[in-house]
Amino acid sequence: MALQGSSQSESGRHEQIISQFLLKSLHIILDSRIPSLSRHDLSGELTPVSRVRKSDKWFNLVLGERPASLEDLNFWHRNVMDPMIIDVILVHEGPSSSATDDLYTTSGVGVPVETVIERWVVQYEPSGTVPPQQVEAPASYKKMYQKAIVLLRSLYSIMRLLPAYRIFKQLSSLNQTYNFDLIYKVSSFGELLSRAEEKVMKQYSFAPVEAPSGRLSISLTYQPTLSGFNLAPSTPVPPNIITDYVGSPAADPLKVFPCTDKGIPATSFSFRRIHSPTSVPFQRPHSWSSGIHRVAPFKQNHPLCGSPPAHHTPPVPCHSSSPPDIYGYRIQGYRPPSHKKGISFDEHQLSPPFLPSPSPSPPTYFSSGNPFRTAQGTETAPVSIPLPNMGRNSRYTIPNSSDPNRHSLPPMSPRSTRLDLSSQESPSSGSRSFRKTDALRSGELSGFAQLYSGQKIFKDSKDDSGRFSGIVSSSGSPRVGFSRSSSRLSFQDDLDDCDFSYPFVVDDVDTSDSQTRTPEGKEASESTSQAFPSARKSQDAAVGVLVHMLRTAPPLRQDYSCYSSQTSKSEFEGEVGSGSGFCVPRKTTDALEELKSYREMKDLLLSQSGTRVIKKEEAKPTAFVG
Amino acid sequence: MNCEVCQLKELEVEHFEIREVLRCILHTIVFHRALGLVRPKDIDSELFEITYVQCGDAELEKKIEEKIDQFIGWVEKHPNKKSQATWFSNKTERLYWEQWYINLNVAQQPKAHFAKSHHSKVVVDPGECALVERSVRRAALEAALREVLFQIIKFVNEKRDHIPPVPNVEGVSFPYEITIPSSSDSSFGMDVIKRMLQTGHPTMLS
Repeated sequence: MALQGSSQSESGRHEQIISQFLLKSLHIILDSRIPSLSRHDLSGELTPVSRVRKSDKWFNLVLGERPASLEDLNFWHRNVMDPMIIDVILVHEGPSSSATDDLYTTSGVGVPVETVIERWVVQYEPSGTVPPQQVEAPASYKKMYQKAIVLLRSLYSIMRLLPAYRIFKQLSSLNQTYNFDLIYKVSSFGELLSRAEEKVMKQYSFAPVEAPSGRLSISLTYQPTLSGFNLAPSTPVPPNIITDYVGSPAADPLKVFPCTDKGIPATSFSFRRIHSPTSVPFQRPHSWSSGIHRVAPFKQNHPLCGSPPAHHTPPVPCHSSSPPDIYGYRIQGYRPPSHKKGISFDEHQLSPPFLPSPSPSPPTYFSSGNPFRTAQGTETAPVSIPLPNMGRNSRYTIPNSSDPNRHSLPPMSPRSTRLDLSSQESPSSGSRSFRKTDALRSGELSGFAQLYSGQKIFKDSKDDSGRFSGIVSSSGSPRVGFSRSSSRLSFQDDLDDCDFSYPFVVDDVDTSDSQTRTPEGKEASESTSQAFPSARKSQDAAVGVLVHMLRTAPPLRQDYSCYSSQTSKSEFEGEVGSGSGFCVPRKTTDALEELKSYREMKDLLLSQSGTRVIKKEEAKPTAFVG
Repeated sequence: MNCEVCQLKELEVEHFEIREVLRCILHTIVFHRALGLVRPKDIDSELFEITYVQCGDAELEKKIEEKIDQFIGWVEKHPNKKSQATWFSNKTERLYWEQWYINLNVAQQPKAHFAKSHHSKVVVDPGECALVERSVRRAALEAALREVLFQIIKFVNEKRDHIPPVPNVEGVSFPYEITIPSSSDSSFGMDVIKRMLQTGHPTMLS
């Protein structure tokens, strides 16, 4: 009985060590490759070792708080016999595929390409035969544990010597953004690498750690050099001047826009390309990634969530509540007292495997954020607009929070909000655009593609990454430009302050009879709207008024069929009332009257601006005289 | 008790590079042999594009720096000598179970040519050549240093059976010695730092 109990505890301890070994290796690898998951404390003030959580003390290597994604992995990767394959993938720019890309991009970037630069295989390889005396040896797990300590130290060191570490360091820098990113994929099977990849990649294997019934091994396939990739800091895109800006619906919700199918060129982006069929499969039934879009075949015998398998429920001996104590040496606070065995054991990662799964299905798609949330949220409308300037990857966030038209955007969905706020906790990669694409990929992509087709996709002026910004306005109305909106709104305020209302302000024009709007009137309004972005004072407005009037003024010659008095306000109508005879040949008197009206108008304008008109005074006596 | 010996590849270093090279090597060795609880600290080398790992133990770091200072002092007093330092000896009760030999070939400091030349043009050219040559040597040294670090990792992984049991301590788990060899005619003498831990009867992992 005692022997059975001890062997059971031994096997339980072995399982625990193997499981923790897998988890620790994953933590080391991701911590050194994925900037968003890296928990390096840059401040230099580290928690003292004595105050480290017990769960972090496994293998005597304190790495800091584990991201939530790793905790979920611990729950997902239930079968310790399955290999854990971690792909570190470089997302970089490929060559431009077609000339049409240039129409939609301002920087001429290429298609995003994903290349596996490292593939880590961490596994426990059970041996065929197990000598019974080894299984029952009380110290067998201790030897295994100690050797695993050394192995993990080597893994930690070598992570920093491989070429990919340099890329990670670049991405981790706070003051620069790049046109590439590192993402990861964890699965229990490895997709075949392409022949080209296999040719260039090298192998490296650590010496395995012998275990009583197998061995722990870590092997690596990696790209020995990354100089062939186009990895460069991304350049900020200069603001794009929209020459045919027709205003924002936010300024005038009642404004009827003309048909915009023909007129709105997209300023960027290859965000649409991200959704191309070649790169975006939506199903990932059986592995866990931070944005890779490869369909993984479903593995039939993979242990599902739900009740924990039998091998995870060994009885817990009192001394197994912490990472194994070797030969009775103790340090203060490290080994819990024996009466706390049950509680301490739970602390060491045994409880997560026993957590009931929120979903009876196998982990289908760990796209971004919490996989459980993802699984539950796949049906929601993924209007995910990341908050700007979040962490180091602000390059992937969309636009400018100071954009005054932001209020026209729909509110963020709770899921997307959660994703945005948990930038450090999210298990996904450093690419927030990929997180966004994950959100979209969960089922609403086609709808979005339709929604955004024909609309301008604008970009935050602070966005440096060009192609990867993935900025899509979720506004329901076409948004042609944003750069002038703020000044335009201020102009609106100026207009409100003035008693003088200008006929060619888009709002006012809109309220007039649209049927009588002429192309000229529209052109005038457009031209004046162009002129107005810089108008901040009524003097400029006055000038604009005058310009408009001159433009809409009937020619001195014949053919006044296009002349319309409707472009003027009622104040002017009295002045030009005589001009309402559209097709009447004009006489000199008419012209003189019109000139008089213009003059009065001018005087009025000038008086508005505070300038005295001397000529008016001079004209009076002449008027009496004449 | 078998004593594993690791002879690291020889590195050709200039005088000002000794410190960084030794930091990389020593800290890497210590990180793999201080098997107590550690919080690893990544350090970017000042001279090379290499990131090595420290144990995060301030006392250990101080000891290593002191030893490096002593070695540099020794090298200054003994030019034209290759230094094969028995740098790190893990031992328990004076029973060495592992020895590491770090071999450095310290290059002579170049003579100052420019001070004697009367022609400015002649001065510039040797300087530029020296810079180019130095950068080439620096790159070669970096590659060689990286190889040495890989060599350490490989040795550490392959030889695990001779390691004594790891006590439940923080940081350095085993006593160690850092030794600088002295020539016979040197008055510098041997400087040995010993750090002993009260250990029980050593039992070996087989």
